[in-house]
Amino acid sequence: MKKLVLCLPLLALAGCAAVQPWERDVLARPDMSLDNAPLDAAIDDHIYFSKEASSGGRGFGGGGCGCN
Amino acid sequence: MKASCAATLTRDADHWTGRFVAMASPCEILIEEAPASLAQEILDAVSSEAWRIERKYSRYRGDSMVHRINERAGQETVVDDECANLLDFAATLTRLSEGAFDITSGVLRKAWTFDGGEQVPSQAQIDALLEQVGWHKVAWRRPALALRAGMQIDLGGIGKEYAVDCAADLVQSIAPGLSCLINFGGDVAVRNPRGDRKPWRVGIESCARSGTAQRVVQLSRGALATSGDSRRFVFRGGHRYSHILDARTGWPVRNAPHSITVAADTCTQAGTITTLAMLRGEDAERMLRSSGMQYWLQ
Amino acid sequence: MKDTDSFNATLAAATCALLGSSVATPVVAAEEAGRWSFDSTLLYYGESDDRVSDVSAAVSALRNFGDDRKLSATLTADTLTGASPSGAIALDRPQTFTSPSGRAAYTTSAGDVPLDDTFLDTRFALNASWTQPLARLYMFSAGFGFSTEYDYTHLGANLSLARDFNKRNTTVSAGVAYSQDDIDPVGGRPLPLSQMLDVGDNSNKRDGSESKDVLDLLLGFTQVLNRTTVLRVNYSYSDSSGYLNDPYKLLSVVDPVTGDTLTRTPGGLGPDGVYLFESRPDTRTKQSLYTEVKHSFGAPVMHFAYRYMTDDWGIDSHTGEVRLRWPLGDGYIEPQLRYYTQSAADFYHASLVAGTAVPRYASADFRLGDFDATTVGIKYGHDTSSGNEWSIRAEYYQQNGSVPREQIVGNQANREQYPDLSAVIVQFGYRFKL
Repeated sequence: MKKLVLCLPLLALAGCAAVQPWERDVLARPDMSLDNAPLDAAIDDHIYFSKEASSGGRGFGGGGCGCN
Repeated sequence: MKASCAATLTRDADHWTGRFVAMASPCEILIEEAPASLAQEILDAVSSEAWRIERKYSRYRGDSMVHRINERAGQETVVDDECANLLDFAATLTRLSEGAFDITSGVLRKAWTFDGGEQVPSQAQIDALLEQVGWHKVAWRRPALALRAGMQIDLGGIGKEYAVDCAADLVQSIAPGLSCLINFGGDVAVRNPRGDRKPWRVGIESCARSGTAQRVVQLSRGALATSGDSRRFVFRGGHRYSHILDARTGWPVRNAPHSITVAADTCTQAGTITTLAMLRGEDAERMLRSSGMQYWLQ
Repeated sequence: MKDTDSFNATLAAATCALLGSSVATPVVAAEEAGRWSFDSTLLYYGESDDRVSDVSAAVSALRNFGDDRKLSATLTADTLTGASPSGAIALDRPQTFTSPSGRAAYTTSAGDVPLDDTFLDTRFALNASWTQPLARLYMFSAGFGFSTEYDYTHLGANLSLARDFNKRNTTVSAGVAYSQDDIDPVGGRPLPLSQMLDVGDNSNKRDGSESKDVLDLLLGFTQVLNRTTVLRVNYSYSDSSGYLNDPYKLLSVVDPVTGDTLTRTPGGLGPDGVYLFESRPDTRTKQSLYTEVKHSFGAPVMHFAYRYMTDDWGIDSHTGEVRLRWPLGDGYIEPQLRYYTQSAADFYHASLVAGTAVPRYASADFRLGDFDATTVGIKYGHDTSSGNEWSIRAEYYQQNGSVPREQIVGNQANREQYPDLSAVIVQFGYRFKL
């Protein structure tokens, strides 16, 4: 198994200015949430888990099934 | 410091958004479906009103009424009706809070710096400043106000909510029945519900997590005010001291909620309740519950 | 109560005096949006060539208590019918196989890729999780999952902790999940690499259930890049051990010259060729790196994600996905595109060649092979006047694979070695709040 080389992007953060709470109007919109369609994501994950050899990545999935 | 005097009007999906800066806060007014000229007229009126109130009551401005009163501490100053009303209101709040809320407590700022650190002033420093704190030491006989030498008043605690209500009144007189949401830095008022009967959606800030939506309140009519301490506090001995000072002791309130949002008929009422609740510290929730008002704590 | 009444009265009177009676005191109408939110969906998945089709329904409920505490639960039911390739190769003659139960036989026509015996399976799953702040910048989450189908049961739990930094512009999280699955194959578990026997002969099958344990570790990092962009990077490590085989999958044993399956004379009813049940290692370690970005261009929002996965079975995969949401009237339209590619497992064999040593592990399951897959889809959502949303999504999924040249023997070169998979997915959704 190849070793995975992790390049944490922490160093790039030095250039990121913190967004103030009152500037979070856009980020607070539901469609800007990273998890705004959890049911869609769970369904997609399940379909791809049963048809492909990779799974997950986004978070802890709904769990196993006999389909793979 | 001169506030930026620019107000911008933009068109969103089903409403207008007017933005400007006043009273050191981002201000906005959301106007439901209306002709562009009316939206501009409303924005101009609201921004002018906000700047008028800021000019008149800001502690910092050399040309403000409050500055004049403070400069003339030791002597009598005659104030106009509007200022007199605010002073009467402040006096009522002092009575309702049994002295914890007091517009003369601003001088305590000299002792406290709320930067999240551990710096606390000595009791001697606080006692010295408490000499100049206390509404009962003020000679207020409408329309004349006389502070003792060294005393100062600060209307920051009630000014913004008052400005919201004044702006809402103004909009009512220009366009009665039109639904507008006025938001001065988190103090919000809506006088009329929207024509399409959808509520305005207000996000409650400060504890928003990166990448997720905040708590949302659906406001059809009424006002919201929020009082919070998220970035200004002192940590000492395992207690978090918020930046809200109890005027009786000169010490900050202990273990108050991180932030309180209250819904009431007017912004002034909502703001008063959040402030008075914060001043109760640990008892804040009990007070809010018994007030019968809707509230959200963080 | 009296105190409160006089307090409220005093305050009301004072406010009236301050603002003047021009305020015809509107009675406040405010409520927190969505104490309970529900998301429901109905999905149809259908593969071409009479292969698998699935209808599934799911309901998810989320309850927001005050102060960032949340409870969520999802219930899913799905019914799967159809058949997928069993791993045996297609031939120019019909082929007969014993069904998994060992009690009947089925036949595949000449030229067709053999599919498993048709099955009908219903699965129920329940997932729940609880999230709450632990201290000012810490968020804790715990969850469990359970699912059951006729030959498979899953039970799992997970925990995670997240901490915010930098005015909540940065979040770092760590989580662990553990699950135990029980597999009870129909007809019993076949001994790996044993030959498929006649109907009624279960000498190579073992009764009882097998189990599989999975441990997952997840390290996550979310960063607000600017007012309109947010980034997430996750590293995950997954370790499975136990029974990892697919008990219904086979490999054909072929003649080294012709490449056709060796024939066999069945005793009564049974297979007319030599087929061996597959064998996979009993451990699998996977690592993956997943990154996603969401960016708003004013009203439209773009979502991009990429995942790289590698494991100790020799499989490497890349997944890239992009979605663009455009507001449209009272709703939105969201086209989406996904591209996936994986390399074959080390022990993937299209067929086993007679005369060569039987490898320790071998599987002809196309899901472990070398293939690319593309999904194109579009979703349309509409907000109703009561603040709820219904949506419809349609996708087309296509998988194209290939068998390595050195594994193609004799006549196999004239036939389709790797059956392409295409599927249509249609999904209806409805979200509402109470």
